[in-house]
Amino acid sequence: MRRGFLLVLVALTLTVMSFGHAVAQPAPILSGPLAKLDIKPAQIDTARGTPKGTLTIAMHFALDPGWLDPLEHITAVTMQMYDYFVHDAMIKPMPYGFVTYGLAEHAELSADFRRAAFRLRPGLKFHDGQPVTTADVKWTYENFKGAYAKLFHDKLEHVQTVDDRTVVFHFREPFIDFMDLYNGGVSGIGWIVPRHYYEKVGRDGFKAKPVGAGPYKLVSQQAGVQMTFEAFDDYWRRRPAAKTIVVKGVRDLTARMAGLQTGELDLAFGMTGKLLPRLMSDKSLRWDPNFTGPWWLMFPGHNEPGSPFRDKRVRQAVSLAINRPFLVKQETQGIGKPWGNWVSPENRDALQGPDASVGEFNLEKAKQLMAQAGFPDGFEVEYTPFPPYFDMGERIITDLRAVGIRGKMQSLEGPAFRSKVGQGRKGFPGNRTIVQNIDPRAGGSKANIAVYAVCDSPSSFICDPQIEALWKKHQASLDVAERERLVKQIQRIVLEEHYFVPLYWNPFVHAIGPRVLPEGEAFHRYWDTLNAPYPWPWEVWEVKADR
Amino acid sequence: MKRYVLVRALYSVVTLWLLVTIIFGLVRLTGDPVAMKAEAGADAAYVAQLRQSWGLDQPLHWQYLGFVGRLLRGDFGHSFEKSLPVRDIYFERLPNSLKLGFAAFLISIVLGVPLGMLSALKVNSVWDNTGKGIALLGLSMPGFFVGLILIIVFGIELRWLPVLGKGSSAFVGSAPSTWLTFWFRDWAHLAMPAFALGWYFSGAMLRITRSGMLDVLGSDYIKLVRLKGVPEAVVVAKHALKNSMIPVLTFAGLNLLIMVNVAVVIEVIFNWPGVGQLLYDALSNRDFPMVQGVVLMSGLMIVLLNFTIDVLYGCVDPRIRLSR
Repeated sequence: MRRGFLLVLVALTLTVMSFGHAVAQPAPILSGPLAKLDIKPAQIDTARGTPKGTLTIAMHFALDPGWLDPLEHITAVTMQMYDYFVHDAMIKPMPYGFVTYGLAEHAELSADFRRAAFRLRPGLKFHDGQPVTTADVKWTYENFKGAYAKLFHDKLEHVQTVDDRTVVFHFREPFIDFMDLYNGGVSGIGWIVPRHYYEKVGRDGFKAKPVGAGPYKLVSQQAGVQMTFEAFDDYWRRRPAAKTIVVKGVRDLTARMAGLQTGELDLAFGMTGKLLPRLMSDKSLRWDPNFTGPWWLMFPGHNEPGSPFRDKRVRQAVSLAINRPFLVKQETQGIGKPWGNWVSPENRDALQGPDASVGEFNLEKAKQLMAQAGFPDGFEVEYTPFPPYFDMGERIITDLRAVGIRGKMQSLEGPAFRSKVGQGRKGFPGNRTIVQNIDPRAGGSKANIAVYAVCDSPSSFICDPQIEALWKKHQASLDVAERERLVKQIQRIVLEEHYFVPLYWNPFVHAIGPRVLPEGEAFHRYWDTLNAPYPWPWEVWEVKADR
Repeated sequence: MKRYVLVRALYSVVTLWLLVTIIFGLVRLTGDPVAMKAEAGADAAYVAQLRQSWGLDQPLHWQYLGFVGRLLRGDFGHSFEKSLPVRDIYFERLPNSLKLGFAAFLISIVLGVPLGMLSALKVNSVWDNTGKGIALLGLSMPGFFVGLILIIVFGIELRWLPVLGKGSSAFVGSAPSTWLTFWFRDWAHLAMPAFALGWYFSGAMLRITRSGMLDVLGSDYIKLVRLKGVPEAVVVAKHALKNSMIPVLTFAGLNLLIMVNVAVVIEVIFNWPGVGQLLYDALSNRDFPMVQGVVLMSGLMIVLLNFTIDVLYGCVDPRIRLSR
């Protein structure tokens, strides 16, 4: 009797579980075979209490109202910080996965990569109370003007809004990179803008007072100076923890440090350089290393006649001449990690381990290679450091001098430097130049290769036939595994040929004041999102209540 | 007099037109702002679209005519970097600069003028040496250094004063209550940047007051006044001070303009949202419309000040207005 009862109970439980499972399985949108997607589910926590306290953040440069408009989103990671305040994306990086569901609760990609479909969550709202619908998704896609816009528009055949919650993108040809690029961590096109509001207030009006579906509403801003955000209680994932977030543009490092020490700031970015020891020794402050991307050296025009860097042995000598552990100690108080690739290890397809071992420091060998290459007495070069890391540049110049490479520093302002790097080889006249660069770019290793290591990129620093052939194959391939293999092969060539000389994985230190919760070391969780140079998402940040 | 004013006004207009033309040309020599904004790897279509939206795809003469045409309508264009109308951003910042500039100006006057007078009246005494020492310190200790010392002492160690920004008071609307709130609230935020900025100018003010007073005190008419038995206080206050103030006031007027428009370093250290920092950001980012707007507004202030001074000179001195 008891056994029979147990059997019935087990059978009932299994039935309920299988029924529950069937309910949890979303109904398919697309017909036919589908590509495998690895999108993590959102962690929804609606039981949160009332938002409290004010979190005051200092950016290390002036604020741009343009960052509040996803339609003009360039790949700059800073813009994403503001996307995570005001807007929300269909899919986006979160601490629990680089691709996670945001506004979309379900996504599909056809096996031929010609169709992609999303289903929105029920009950989504913009800050003005209007519902988020597929019409907004369609309008955002069609009106997007930022980075990769041409690619998105060229590939698109049409957008089909099946109903208010279901949307299907039809492409003219296979668009294998669609899900990667549509991810909010990579481009702005997936951050959904309210059509009704944008059309009403226009481009300038939207930048001055944006409306989105994100966890915070912008309540006021002074262009370049300050933005004030307030918690959006109806945010779908959870009620934000901090009631108000104030972001200030504080360009000066000493001012940011002073602001933290006086309690006027709770979180400050870019706490590197000479004040880092002071930050580390201040008992009232805490900090997170916040690893972003690796530093590396480039040799514009290295493949041209007359360039000393045309000889691989010279490029290798540069690598051997640099004392990376000392550099890390000097620049980052030992926080940084010597690293053997120019691509961040946070990218799943980055070459790591023995395939990308950290460059050796061996002056004797470097001198031998210089002599073998015909430069026993060395030569003069121009050295362009990434601003404002001029101390680091001086250290590298000193290292290089030991093998006869006599560098002359070319100091540029940040925007001027970015402008030159953006022009690739053309940005640097002559071919006796070493450029120090860093680019914590999301989008996987292929994004770094596409920008810096292929001939037809406007920012190309490498043009190698072997890489070109592999890249062509990569672009034509519809096999995800093969593409990843090709990307790794290209990285290997770049490293073996010493086209780029990796230095170390950079910590872009962030500091927090005593008002930030939780106390102790658990605060590091705010930096858990992969490939995120800033600690988003913001709705999880907790501070003590205002006095 | 009417002709004199008209001629001066014409000079002012020509000066402004020259300024418009020069600044339009100069900013374009600094490089391509599109290359600055577009990131590494930006596709050609995006770059072309950006260039078009900023009007930089037009021939230079069309850009110039468009710029002048917009200026005549009071439109400075759109900031490339901040994506909003330059006029709106500039006039949001100007009251902050005026507040800081006037406060620093008052500090420079309050410190510089009495100490300069004291130095001149007690020449070669301990007072004079102290005054000269203060003037030397004022001129040789840069504002950023004074600012950092103030931050460490009054901000970090004593925690008496805030170190960042201007506080919450905003200059919005035209109601008198708004004016009062804006000017008299958040003085704690104002104290350190105003002192750091005014400190340098107080040294210069002290020296010019001292030398002016010494000149006047040694003149024949002062000797005559003294011989007539006028009390020393009256000699100083009524006869010497009044006459020695002419160069001081001219100098002070120019100082005020400088403090309002180019207090870049102090604004950066204290994160004061003024016009100086706006110009610095704009120059760093090749934000042509913003640089043009800020420089033109500063130029306009100087031209208007000079025009007013010229007219006042003409009023008080007939030789000036009658000369051809």
